[in-house]
Amino acid sequence: MALPLAPGLTPSEVAFLCEMELVTVIPRQRLPSLELLAGPTARVEPPFPTPLPLWFALLLKRQRRANISPPPWLSVESLTAILDFETDDRTAGVFTPASPLPTSTTEPYMDRDPYLDSKSLESSPPFIIDSSTARAPGDALPYHWLELSHLLLTHAADDFVDADTVRRLVRDLREVRMSKLRKGFGVLDAGAGVKMNGVGAMEIAEVRGFVGGVVDGLRKLNKSREESRRERELEERESGMGRGGYPDDDDDDMQL
Amino acid sequence: MAYFSPTSILTDAQKVPCTFELAVPHLKPLNSGSSIDQGTKLDLPLWMGEMLALDTHTDPLATMEMPTALGQRVMNALRADAKSVDLRAQAQWFYGLGERMLFLFEDDEMVDVLTNTFKKRAHEIADKAQNTRGVQQGGDSNDFVMGLDETERLLFRSSHESTQAVKKWFETSSRA
Repeated sequence: MALPLAPGLTPSEVAFLCEMELVTVIPRQRLPSLELLAGPTARVEPPFPTPLPLWFALLLKRQRRANISPPPWLSVESLTAILDFETDDRTAGVFTPASPLPTSTTEPYMDRDPYLDSKSLESSPPFIIDSSTARAPGDALPYHWLELSHLLLTHAADDFVDADTVRRLVRDLREVRMSKLRKGFGVLDAGAGVKMNGVGAMEIAEVRGFVGGVVDGLRKLNKSREESRRERELEERESGMGRGGYPDDDDDDMQL
Repeated sequence: MAYFSPTSILTDAQKVPCTFELAVPHLKPLNSGSSIDQGTKLDLPLWMGEMLALDTHTDPLATMEMPTALGQRVMNALRADAKSVDLRAQAQWFYGLGERMLFLFEDDEMVDVLTNTFKKRAHEIADKAQNTRGVQQGGDSNDFVMGLDETERLLFRSSHESTQAVKKWFETSSRA
């Protein structure tokens, strides 16, 4: 049955999620810790930089109660270096690697259920804590780089050293990466996976409809071949090893 | 194939040439009132053709043939230059028809041709969807977009809409 919404997140949903990212705020006023659904916020004490969620930081910024210090990767030097990496011929096939994952904290828990232990969780891109605060690495773009840099450049432009250059570099970066993604469409195939490491959330939202449609169309065209191959394999398996007890994985209803 | 999907219903309604093997006097209405004898050729909807040709209980009433949309001429044209063929003129749901026919007639070569066509044209669609100005002004890209089959149109639209949605978010968020 047709759902009114296409699968995947819309740009505003992506931006909403991006507003949960922590950014570093340099406060001008003190503010006690607030009890929010996502947990208590840090206590704000004037001279000390504090990590706060982006939406809250933007609110304080609009009320002139705080300044936002942009993450290190949003500086002219870092962006130029990343742009060089993206435009280099030798790295034409890959995107700037995302920030390295924090080292695994998983330890062998023998006596407890590891799934229930918060320490055994490994964080991956959307949930990395320090990807956009002042402690973020300067040489990697986080998952929400495009939305975050746009929001910061629009609402906190005076906190940048050279906002116009940063804006230009971000725009260049977006265009270079988009054309790379487009070139990557050439390898789409019925059964092939596309490696899109380091692609940001907004970029995914932009190409999801197209990539999904192409893969789905190719899958449909290859269905007959796929089915005959499966039948052949089943026959070989049965003649070769007697009765194979493999479950028939029917993934026809799978949607991207 | 989903029961409630208009796509598959419309795909099913496309005509396929069928040849009757037996005289069937009671199916006269199909041939607009004239009698159906052995060897009568009729264009029947895909779903009916399948019913008549794939009846396993008795001898099939009719045999199905490859529709001209998927015939050798079209295949050769697609092999030569996939982007210049007007797929819409061949069949509205060209790829859907291809998918169903490949199910009935196994043809590895046709799978290859259709897959390559789809890939090549998808690339072009992505480019056209990004910049629709040429399409609106009726530039030379117009022919290509008018010749898209329905599957490709959906692809074009989803690609165009997601680009527009992102653009719109950038605009609205800079205003507030």
